[in-house]
Amino acid sequence: MIDKASSGISARQVGLMRCGACGTMHRRGERVICRLCGARLHSRTPHGLQRVWAFLLLGALAYVPAMMLPVMSTRSLATRSEDTIISGVLELADQGSYGVAAIIFVASICIPIIKFIVIAALASSLQRDWAMSQSARHRLHRLTELIGRWSMIDVFVVAVLTALIQLGTFITITPGRGIEAFALAVIFTMLAASSLDPRLFWDHDTDGSARTR
Amino acid sequence: MASDRRTDLDELLACPACDRLHRRLALAVGESADCVRCGHPVQTARADTLDRSLAASIACLILLVMSVALPFLSLSRAGIGSQISVLDAFGALWASDFRWLGVLTLALIVVLPVLRLVLLVYVLLPLRRARATGQRTRTAFRWALMLEPWAMADIFMVGVAISLFKIGTVARLHIGLAFWALLAAIGVSFYLARVLCRDTVWQRLAAEGADAVRDDPDRRT
Repeated sequence: MIDKASSGISARQVGLMRCGACGTMHRRGERVICRLCGARLHSRTPHGLQRVWAFLLLGALAYVPAMMLPVMSTRSLATRSEDTIISGVLELADQGSYGVAAIIFVASICIPIIKFIVIAALASSLQRDWAMSQSARHRLHRLTELIGRWSMIDVFVVAVLTALIQLGTFITITPGRGIEAFALAVIFTMLAASSLDPRLFWDHDTDGSARTR
Repeated sequence: MASDRRTDLDELLACPACDRLHRRLALAVGESADCVRCGHPVQTARADTLDRSLAASIACLILLVMSVALPFLSLSRAGIGSQISVLDAFGALWASDFRWLGVLTLALIVVLPVLRLVLLVYVLLPLRRARATGQRTRTAFRWALMLEPWAMADIFMVGVAISLFKIGTVARLHIGLAFWALLAAIGVSFYLARVLCRDTVWQRLAAEGADAVRDDPDRRT
């Protein structure tokens, strides 16, 4: 802000650290918890990259049954049909509801897949020293944090439909196991994104020392 | 001696996104400062943040309670009708043996948003009245900030809109008061996000709770 230099020094390099919750500055190693807000202090998220990979793996594992298993079954007097996320999107598109089909397609299929790829790429770029500009990584990371929660749309659709369509004899809607797996996939990828400490992107250039893993 | 070192540190700040060290500026009301390296905001001084955030939190809390208590949607088909509230979304999942999913839904759309707003009121009210605050208030504010991404009423409403669209052809739908209350709550919570100034609140909490910091036994070692 005062210095015009475009790179500059980080708090870590001069032995300081910022409380992740309230922003209060501390000397590294002086205290375990923040003197203002009581949060546990870390210069960088501990075991950040391990946590990222663990949550990402869990998310990807949960995403497979989320796509394969039905998320909802509709029963009327004579018929019974089961929908997966993909068949639901296709059905909506068939009926000409392209807008709604697009929203679900983006929220349930595009966003999770983009998140898996982006988070894996960002984590790999840190471990393998890929040439990727800091500002690009910074922006990608912000993006994954912002869009992640919107994937929950489909879970809420199933919840509302289940609650609403309880007309007994005529038609009932019950959730399918796929939606549980889907909710888990969303939560795990949100946790993976928040475990990725964006400050690591900038450490490499300015810090000669080895990165914290 | 110890307090001198503390003042030194308080003149500095680090960017939350890239850890670039900055000297704290004296911002005028309404100004903000971004990190020179990554562009992330590092300091803000939003206008009237205590009054506005407190008002928005209370309004949002009332609207959320209304949206839970009142009928949300009702539906009729061939003379048979059903009416649901937000709680029924939880009840239906629970009854269909999708218990943890019901609990998760209830947590994301009711419990966590309400908890977050109660914590905000608990923090902002004494600050605005210039009453003394302690460690408990600061912990409460930390939790309120941490809960932010997990309050998903806005996403729930998009889900509701899609559900309405999906069954609009099957049955006749009536939108209840709770629907409008929840919509208004989302509007107010967007406003809250714009007016709540974390920096200002933390600085006020630091000033109000200065005694508590000196008394902290951890500090003396």
